[in-house]
Amino acid sequence: MPVPWEALIPFALLTACFGATGTLFSVAKRATNDGKPPRYNLDAWDQMMVERDRRLTGSHRGQSTEPIAPKGFATSSIWQTERIQ
Amino acid sequence: MSTHRGAAFLDQPYVDPNPLPSSVPHVDELGATSAPLKSASFFIGQHCKDVNEDFMLCKAENRDPAHCLKEGRKVTRCAAEVYVVLLHLPDLPTLPPPLPTQSPADSSLSIGKIRESCLAEFDAHWQCLEKNNQYFQACRKPERALNQCVFTKLNLSKTIPGSPEGQPQVHEKKNPIFTRVQK
Repeated sequence: MPVPWEALIPFALLTACFGATGTLFSVAKRATNDGKPPRYNLDAWDQMMVERDRRLTGSHRGQSTEPIAPKGFATSSIWQTERIQ
Repeated sequence: MSTHRGAAFLDQPYVDPNPLPSSVPHVDELGATSAPLKSASFFIGQHCKDVNEDFMLCKAENRDPAHCLKEGRKVTRCAAEVYVVLLHLPDLPTLPPPLPTQSPADSSLSIGKIRESCLAEFDAHWQCLEKNNQYFQACRKPERALNQCVFTKLNLSKTIPGSPEGQPQVHEKKNPIFTRVQK
């Protein structure tokens, strides 16, 4: 008796569609995060560190191990001029 | 920080209009970003415990930024010391001067004796952290290698303050509950 392969087409379709969406989403997220998985559950400290990374390297997820910061880093912080609530 | 500000879109990068006066001694800021700093955090904490506590106590007295500038400079210089040693950069053009309060017993970390480093393990660990939302529990394997290397070469070990005594620390547990996200 022949296998009813046409009945499996919807499953294959679902798998392919969800897989394509998921892959595309993951690729889009990684493209905005310099090829790394996105950060999640960021609290105020982590947001401050991400902003510091942006001031140091130009990108939110850029990392560097330089012991001395680049030239404009010491005066690029907007923190000091924010009004304390 | 960014939660209570109104939307202020700047077309130029922000430059502080009131930089520090030249009477304040200049100390180079650390150029390490968040993941390398987090990786080295416990070693910096152990080596710089005294200066860090000085700074925190000073801040507890008075939140005015001008009050704790001196202690802040010491904190930056101490962290830069550990950091430079970890990376082994003997030919840096402007190394931070060693802290005057260092006892002779700390001479193993003096700039002139930088011979060893743990650059490979350090890089492996902070790159693993970057891929895992900077969670320590996801990167125990590189962390073990880094801790071993730093302990043998720099005599710094990671201890978590407030750990319950009598049990292995969470980074030394054989079968931890929290590990990396299942891929």
